[in-house]
Order: sequence, then C-alpha cells, then structure tokens
Amino acid sequence: MICVERTVGLFVLLLFAAACSKNDGQEPSKASDVFEVPAHFPPPVYHVGEVGIGSGGFELGKRLFYDSRLSRDGTISCGSCHAQVHAFADHSSALSVGIDGNISKRNAPALTNLAWYPDFMWDGGINHIEVMPIAPLTDPNEMDNDLSELVNYLQQNTAYPDEFEEVFGSKQIDSQKILLAIAAFQGSIVSYRSKYDDYLTGQSQLSALEMDGKNIFEAQCSSCHSGVLLTDFSFRNNGLDSTFADAGRATITQNEADMGKFKVPSLRNVSLTNPYMHDGRIPTLRQVLDHYSEGIVESKTLDESLRDGLALTEAEKDALVAFLQTLTDYELLGDSRFHEP
Amino acid sequence: MKHAIKNKLVLLFFAFGILMFQACSDDDDNNIDESPSAAEGSVELKFDHVWGPAEANFELNTEYTHPATSEAITFTKLRYYVSNVVLQKSDGSEWREDQSYHIVDVASDDTNLRLQNMPAGDYVGISFTIGVDSARNVSGAQTGALDPSENMFWSWNSGYIFIKAEGNSPASVDGSFTYHLGGFSEPNSAIREVSLDFGESTLRIAPNTEPAVHLMANAARFWHGGISLNDMSNVHMPGSNASILATNFAGGFRFDHIHN
Repeated sequence: MICVERTVGLFVLLLFAAACSKNDGQEPSKASDVFEVPAHFPPPVYHVGEVGIGSGGFELGKRLFYDSRLSRDGTISCGSCHAQVHAFADHSSALSVGIDGNISKRNAPALTNLAWYPDFMWDGGINHIEVMPIAPLTDPNEMDNDLSELVNYLQQNTAYPDEFEEVFGSKQIDSQKILLAIAAFQGSIVSYRSKYDDYLTGQSQLSALEMDGKNIFEAQCSSCHSGVLLTDFSFRNNGLDSTFADAGRATITQNEADMGKFKVPSLRNVSLTNPYMHDGRIPTLRQVLDHYSEGIVESKTLDESLRDGLALTEAEKDALVAFLQTLTDYELLGDSRFHEP
Repeated sequence: MKHAIKNKLVLLFFAFGILMFQACSDDDDNNIDESPSAAEGSVELKFDHVWGPAEANFELNTEYTHPATSEAITFTKLRYYVSNVVLQKSDGSEWREDQSYHIVDVASDDTNLRLQNMPAGDYVGISFTIGVDSARNVSGAQTGALDPSENMFWSWNSGYIFIKAEGNSPASVDGSFTYHLGGFSEPNSAIREVSLDFGESTLRIAPNTEPAVHLMANAARFWHGGISLNDMSNVHMPGSNASILATNFAGGFRFDHIHN
C-alpha cells in the first residue's frame, strides 16, 4: 500500500511539474522540512506534509499547537498537556487538567513518532493522525471548543488568515487546513537520537549495566514493546485490575474479549513520561517493574504472556531501569525547532 | 482494501488536479474554455420528507403517531448523508457525480441537491448511498460536506455519523430519543445503497432546462417492523442497532415523480 502511494505520489508530482512549464527547476516545497525518516526506522504510515499542504505548514501547525486560544475560554493549548521537556507528554500528571479545572479521562501520551502510528489514543479509536486533534479540541474536559467556532475565531484573527494563505494559497480557513497544519507539526516530532539509537547505529556503547538491562528487556519485554518504536501497537490487558472502570479497547470494538485492554505504549523517553499506565496510577519506572514482576492481577482478558508475572530479581530491575533510561532523547528535548514560538 | 486504495488514488489525483489548476491559473488562463459544453445539463434532486403509509407531510417539532406501534414521536433533528450519486441512462450507461457528498437537513429550507454537468440524454433511474463510503472514513481531514465541523463525525471513534435523528417520545424511558447512526466496518456497517427506478417516467437532461426528480423519504421507517422507543431510544455508536435502524431508514426512500 505504501509503495503504491509513493509511486503514485511521485507520478503526480511529475505531472505537477510538467503542468507548469514556467516554473521549471522549482520543486514544490514540502510542508515540513523538519520531518525525516531515520535510517534505522521502518517506513512511516503517514507521509508528513506531502498532500494538501504547502511550505510553511510546520510553522503554522506549531503556532496552532501552542495557541491557548484554540480552547473555548482561551486557557489551554495542545502544548499545555504535551510539553517538550517531557517528550510531549504531560508534566508528571496522572490525568491532565483541562478547561474549568476538569480532569481528562486518561493519561496524556507522549506525542513522538506519531507518523508511524496505525491508530491513536489508549483505545485506538482514532484512525488517522489528521483527525486526532478533534478529540482534545472538542472534549468537554479538555479544550471544549466547537470546530466551527474555532474556524470563525481564526478567520477573524488579524494574523492567521495571511498565514493560512502562505501555506494553502487562500485566506479562507476551514477545519481541514487547521488539521493538516497540526499534523504537519505533530507528525514531524520524531524521537530517534537517544543513547539507545546511537547504540543501534553503532555510534555509541552501552554500559555493562545498560547492556544487562537490554538483554533482559529483549527476553522479557520486547514481545510487546517491539522493534525500534518499542511497541507492537497491539491492545493488551496488562494485569492492573480484575474489574474494569475503563473498558479500554472494548469501548471501541464493543467486544467483551477487549475489556480492559489498552494500547501497548512506545517506551521512547519513558523515564520522562511518568506516571505510568492508561490512568497514570503507577508513579515510577521501578514500581512499573514491580507490577510486572509481582503485581499482576488475574482477569479473563489478561494477556497470556503476563499470566505468571515476569519474576524479575531486584538486580534485574536495576539493570532494566538503566536500560530504559537510555531511551531518553535529550536532543529532542532541547530541539529549538519544536519550541513554543 | 483494494477499493480503499483506489479511492485514495482518485483523491490524490483530484487534489493535485486542483493544485495544478491553481498553480497555473496566473499565467495560463487563456487556454481555459469556460463555456459549458453544449451536451450537458443539470437536475434538481428533491427530497420530500413524509410520515407513514399515508405519506403525511413531515416536519420537525410536530407530533406524529407511529402506524405500527402507536407511539407518539416528535423529531427535533433529521440530518443524513447522501453520497456517491449515480444516474442510469436509457442506453445502460451511468453518470457518476464527482466528489459526491451531500448532507440533507430537514431543518434547512433547502433539502434539494443540485447535480450539474451531466451529459444530455434520457435517464431511467438513480442510486445513491445513505452514509459515507469506507474510504472517506479512514482518509484523514476532509472538507465540504465531509468537514467534521458539520458535527457529523465522531471525534473519539473515528468515522462519520451517517444519520442523525433526534427528538422526543413519551414511549422512551427518558422521554427522548437520539439516533446517531454510522459504522463502516463489518459486521456492523451502516452504509446503505438505495436504487430507485423511474418506472414509466424519464428524466430528460438537456442544456438550459431545469428538470427536478422528486424522491420521498419516510421518517416513520426508523421503527419499521414495530420497534418500540421503549426498547431503542439511544443509539450513538456503530453496532447492530445502528445497522438495523440504517437499514430501516434507507428502505423508506421511493421515487415519486419527475418535472422535466
């Protein structure tokens, strides 16, 4: 599927170039110069900024991402709960505080490497990166806005119509343009410069302890937290509860067999995205390992691989924590291209 | 899946077609012939909403009695997608409307769809989808009738709400009903095809004429077969109930007459 689209994309680009003989030699500029596919990553699901959006899309998306006026009362931006210093997760909050002090339903995830995600949210209910922001923008506990009012607000603003014109060729704003711009920004946030990445690409060594942790991780954790993205994107019940206050994946599928299952999260930057689990109930990485080792709760939909617990020794937990800390991408945290403008 | 890819490709071509047009419009205008083709015309598709076998005139905020259940029902909203309109010609060929996505809203004064740039000729039938094809449910941010700001899109469980019917009924436990019907995946897809034959009538498309096709949409059909509002008053996600109600509503369309 990806190959077909790429081929067609190329063909269409050629057509585009051929149609405008007076613009010879000028390649159409992409919406994001920031997005790149690291050499050690698989091909992305979403080709950031390639269709329907022009040069400058990333910058426009960044402005929207950090603009609190996108919320109903002007108090909450996307960046309020997705902070760069926490790899675009919330500031160590179990649940996030939205509009009027309301509390979000689940823990805010880190927004990195979204271009590789087949679906979004803890229950996977959202099927495309472009429509993902509609949920937080309109959720009564988060930004509680109405898309039409948001469009009207931006249209009346003194600066935005000109900025949309630069990117889309028209001052006329609609929700599609807003969503394409946010996707160009969010999709460009790629975390690929951790110590672990440097190890994978042969540019750095892991310490003996980290190496021990890596070996235990590969034996015990990587069947779910697999590959370079450190998730297989599946939905699993990881033994938190015997009955489920939050049905998780079953909310979407209406299937009893999915009760209490949530998406396996990527572990990139995991030491910065505390607290853990879909509801943020576990404060530290060490306690997460305690849970998998000694705290698994039985239930009908519990993942088979966790039925007996992972039975880690304290020394193994030490090593695993050391390894998990190599997944922190300090360059991303300080990358000025993603800073609030 | 193949279908989805094909649709996506068509979309891509369309999007870039517009880009090409825009990119060149500054300097190459003189090549564009803006006069309509001599062999094209248009038609007005009129949706007349009615109630029950007697086909009483149907309006919002008016109480009706359901013919099968005798339950009193008042609608406050009825909105639905009509998409992928196809007209069948007498010679067996078909005309497919490009970018064919429309919302029919009974609250609006205008429940007519205007189809344009059809080849002149005689047409004998029409088909359309109540809902939105699966490809557009999974292709990201859309525009026009598919713009999510139309409030016909589920933000937390991606996909279009094909049909919104809301109102009040004393037969419902909480006194009201909310049907938000959608779902594009089997086994509970709520996408429904409607095919209507014009029978003895013929739609004549020609330049400079304004023919109209009148279709009847029967709002009582949601409860076809005697479904009680006591049993089914809130449906707001894909599932078997949404599928049943979508089948019922789509079964309530019929061809009435043509003004040529």
